[in-house]
Amino acid sequence: MIDGVIRLAGDEWEIPKGFVPGMRVPGRFFLSDSLAALLEPGAVQQLANVATMPGIVRSAYGMPDIHWGYGFPIGGVAAFTLDEGVISPGGVGFDINCGVRLFTTPLAKADIKKPRELVESLYKAVPTGVGAKSTQKISPADLTAMMEKGARFAVEAGFGVERDLDRCEDRGCMKQADIRAVSPKARARGIPQGGTLGSGNHFLEVQEVSEIYDEAAAQAFGLVKGQVCCMIHCGSRGLGHQVCTDHLKDLETATKKYQIALPDRQLACAPLQSPEGKAYFGAMAASANYAWANRQLIMDAARRQFMRMFSLAYEDMPLVYDVTHNVAKIEEYAVDGHRVPLCVHRKGATRSFGPGAPDLPPDLTGIGQPVIIPGSMGTSSYVLKGTTAAMERTFGSTCHGSGRVMSRSQAKKKQTGKEVADHLLEQGIIVRAPNEAAIADEAPEVYKPSSEVVEVVARAGISALVARLTPIGVIKG
Amino acid sequence: MSFKEIPHTADVKIQALAPTPGALFGEACAALMQVMYGDDRRGGTKRECNLTGEDQESLLCDFLSEVLYLSEVDGLVFSCADVKLDGLNLYAVLDGEPFDPARHNKGTGVKGISYSGLKISHDAKGYMLEIVFDV
Repeated sequence: MIDGVIRLAGDEWEIPKGFVPGMRVPGRFFLSDSLAALLEPGAVQQLANVATMPGIVRSAYGMPDIHWGYGFPIGGVAAFTLDEGVISPGGVGFDINCGVRLFTTPLAKADIKKPRELVESLYKAVPTGVGAKSTQKISPADLTAMMEKGARFAVEAGFGVERDLDRCEDRGCMKQADIRAVSPKARARGIPQGGTLGSGNHFLEVQEVSEIYDEAAAQAFGLVKGQVCCMIHCGSRGLGHQVCTDHLKDLETATKKYQIALPDRQLACAPLQSPEGKAYFGAMAASANYAWANRQLIMDAARRQFMRMFSLAYEDMPLVYDVTHNVAKIEEYAVDGHRVPLCVHRKGATRSFGPGAPDLPPDLTGIGQPVIIPGSMGTSSYVLKGTTAAMERTFGSTCHGSGRVMSRSQAKKKQTGKEVADHLLEQGIIVRAPNEAAIADEAPEVYKPSSEVVEVVARAGISALVARLTPIGVIKG
Repeated sequence: MSFKEIPHTADVKIQALAPTPGALFGEACAALMQVMYGDDRRGGTKRECNLTGEDQESLLCDFLSEVLYLSEVDGLVFSCADVKLDGLNLYAVLDGEPFDPARHNKGTGVKGISYSGLKISHDAKGYMLEIVFDV
């Protein structure tokens, strides 16, 4: 382990105050010994930097998929008081409300007689990769509605059903959206990209439920062993990226104006109650809403391909849940014996609300929130459930994925995209992407093993295993 | 080409070298376009860019963010940028062509230009930068 970091117990580690000057609280993270061997010093430094920010409560947290990012590390969680605390785009990321959703089908793997045809039809139905444009004609008024209503915009326009909203965090809409804080540039980027997947680590994957660990929770989530389902990973596209870029610049000025000392420019921030802080929060919420509408449009396009190919009804494909990875939200937690509202930043981390927590649909109140953790192309994804321990220990948060261990340039040197695709095909996994490099970039070997990451969060008690999903076909952006 | 990708686990880190600050900014622009679209890029369509920065690092971030915006909204792939710097004032002419999905699908989208790890330095040999693109 990196010098100065202390093992507390089991998989929990502490970065003590003083590791970098100005830390107001310690940093804490969760890693097994094998994952600890992959930890980058830069990620520890970034988590310690977060601990210097004004108004931070208890600790800066790192989930077991922690890795070196910009501003916060990926897998970073921090909560700030509303009166003295700050909000920072560096704690949310460029891809605001990058997230994952999962819907099920009544099909078994054996029902898919022509898996390549299914993958091709999904690839054609969902615009994918750099430069891809929306198949929908989105007017400026539609864009406004996407930013104000989120997933509801898509449902009201016929791209989903009311129940889909019950299965999204915040019913797919942050009410604090302020479209006045979204620049014309961000809007210009948002209009042609509604319903597009994007590139990089974004994907659409057809999967099979291969193992159930918790029958009661699986039943409540609508998951059955052997069932085919579909997972979608993407975010707020160019609109969210531009909002982050615009407000980072404003908040850089604000950081100086409010005399906030920071060890990293990418942590630029402003007091939550300041005009600059409120403007970013409103624009971020509008971007989060755009992302929910975007995932809803993509899910609709995918559902319609399943309907066409397998004669399914729309209602045969219920949404299990939609989780967001990159966001700041106001949530209540117990601090020093009192319940107080805090601004929780999750940067590459997933909400993990336990039984009885607010914002759960009535039928999941006794179970906890579905937590969806994607694996890499060749490895399993997992469904977990939120826990009371997460509410008490990590501000209702857990990991968001596997976490990269290899750069893209290294990945390309190791294997070509064709070699990766051929190897996966030998395992029965079909991969489709706009180019070979996109496949090489995201080869299974470039990620930490997803199984180890979820084992750590399960041991730490910040989420609990419900089901394992194995890939059948993958569309990479 | 005087830029190269250097290892970064999550994102794309670029190191570029040039004899002048303006040429260095031009190399950063070329690197951004290469990451997004691959190396088959031609000229023919021009766009101008006027910016003022608070310091050289923020001027570079603003410039590359503007290139990203113009590329995405106007559907253009730039092959090169002629960048003139006068203190913290920038004037650039970008030379590119319309996005062609058959030729320009070799890269990955860049979400934003990061300040983390951004360095601009110079010595007797010229100017050097390191910059991280969030992908």
